[in-house]
This record gives sequence, C-alpha cells and structure tokens, in this order.
Amino acid sequence: MGEKKLSFDDVKVGDEAPVITHTLTRTDLVKYAGASGDFNPMHHDEVAAQAAGQPSVFGHGMFSMGLLGSALTDYVGVGNVTRYQVRFARQTWPDEVLSSRIVVTGKREKNGKRLVDLAVTLSNAEGEDKLVGEATAALT
Amino acid sequence: MADGAASQEEVLKGIIGQPTGTSKVVVERGTVQHFADAVLSTSPIYHSPDAAEAAGFDAIPAPLTWPFAMEFSGKFDEIQPNDAPKGNPLMTALGPLMAKGGLILHGEQEFIYHRPVLVGDVLLGEGTITDAYQKESKGRTMTFIVSETKWSDDTTGEPVVTARFNLIHRA
Repeated sequence: MGEKKLSFDDVKVGDEAPVITHTLTRTDLVKYAGASGDFNPMHHDEVAAQAAGQPSVFGHGMFSMGLLGSALTDYVGVGNVTRYQVRFARQTWPDEVLSSRIVVTGKREKNGKRLVDLAVTLSNAEGEDKLVGEATAALT
Repeated sequence: MADGAASQEEVLKGIIGQPTGTSKVVVERGTVQHFADAVLSTSPIYHSPDAAEAAGFDAIPAPLTWPFAMEFSGKFDEIQPNDAPKGNPLMTALGPLMAKGGLILHGEQEFIYHRPVLVGDVLLGEGTITDAYQKESKGRTMTFIVSETKWSDDTTGEPVVTARFNLIHRA
C-alpha cells in the first residue's frame, strides 16, 4: 500500500528532493490551529503573544513538521515512509520564507525491505534551521 | 508516589514506565482532508477516494503528522476505554515545575509507521512515559520527558504507528 513515485534502484545517495518553499502567514497558523486543535494563543493571538514577551505570534512546531512531511511524501510517495523524526531547533515567524531540504543519505535492505534513509531539514532564507531530522522510506 | 519532600530526580525516576492513558480514535475523511490542506499538501490522494485507490490504498490515507492531532477530532466519549489511569504522570512531573514558571517546549517528535493510517480506521492508543531526566545547560535546568503512544488497529490488534515526543521544561 503506497504511492509509486520513486524506485529504489533509481535513487542514489546524495540525491535531493524537489524543494518546497513557503512564506509563512498568520492564516497558515489559524488554519493549522483549527485542523489540529492546538489553540495555544501564542500561535494565533498577537496581543497575548506580545504580552508574553514574543515579538509576534509564532508557528506551531507541528505545522513545520507537517509542511516538511508534505515535501517528504511528495518525493518518496504517500504511504512509503516508515520513520519520520525531527528536532525543533528554532521558532518560525510570520513572513519568513521556509524551505525544505531532503537529501538521500543511505540505501539498505532490512527484513526483505528496501529502505532509503534521508536527512530532512526546514530552514529560513537566512539559512537558520527550524527543523532538523531524519526519515526512512520503504521503496520497491 | 512522590511526596512533597521527594527530590525532583526521584519524581522523574518515578514516572518512567508509567502509563499516560489509553484512548480510542476514529479516523474520518473530512478532518483528514482539512489537516492535509493545513499542512499545505497538494496531493489528491488525501482528497479523492479514486486517487487513493489508484495509488494502491484501500481508503484515503492520513498525512504523516496526523497521529499527533487525531485525538482532537476523533476521540469520541462513548468509545473510550473505562480503564483510564488515575492522574497523569506528565503533570506529576511538570505541574510543580510549571508552578515555578519557565517554559514548556516541544523538543523532538518521531513517528514509526507500521502501515499508513487510513480513513475508517479505529485506533487504540496506549501511552507510556519512556524517559525523564534533568540536565543543566547554560546555567538553566532543563527537564526532559519522553512520552510514547503505540497506536494499533482496534479490530485486528496490528500495530499501526508509534508516536514519540520529547517535552522540555526550561527553568
């Protein structure tokens, strides 16, 4: 069960997925709040965020992980990811331009499965990492 | 259970291995579709049963990070197991820390997928605290708590996805 996009034999270590670039808006955060149920006011209430000492509202970490996940499944195909892990390195801010970077770091076979390991990052236009993580996909 | 005199270290050691609760969720098409839009996916697979079928799925699948959000929309009261543990070990450890101030941060998140989560699934989640510790960093006390939820198919019992998250309290 999985979308066929990438074949194991065609992938090489060092290959990079197409980059997804997105300028973060407050509407993204409101939409994510509604879809996920995370109504922490730091992510949608500018008044509350500033009262708490933040310059503005800031993005949900899980919005960033979701966006990077969309870039990941666009590359390896929906249904093929067996592991996806990130560390939340920095907050994201409205108007920042976020870009995905997904690089093939290894190919291996385990228990009859053909696996591709990937390094995944989401960073802003200044090159500051927001998410740093790893993923594995099972390909045919 | 720790009393007021117990050190924070003892409190943290005491919550390792403790259950955080069992919950049951239903995976529904409308909420999965909204979630896919909210994480800016453009794949038709999350919207169209035909596209999902053409890609080899038995039903519309959910995006990768959906398991973190699915309790919000799909945890209906009448299907919840009755054996909910008393008290939440996360709050046992974090409650007293938060009372003194500081910040709670989501440090890391990991998902291990055994099969895709599909619309129509009824999933049973069993949560456990798998680690809890403190360390000093730049003069601040950082408390780390790792919580894991194993989601399985409520009908067949097969494992579906394991979600692991790492919360940090920064004093």
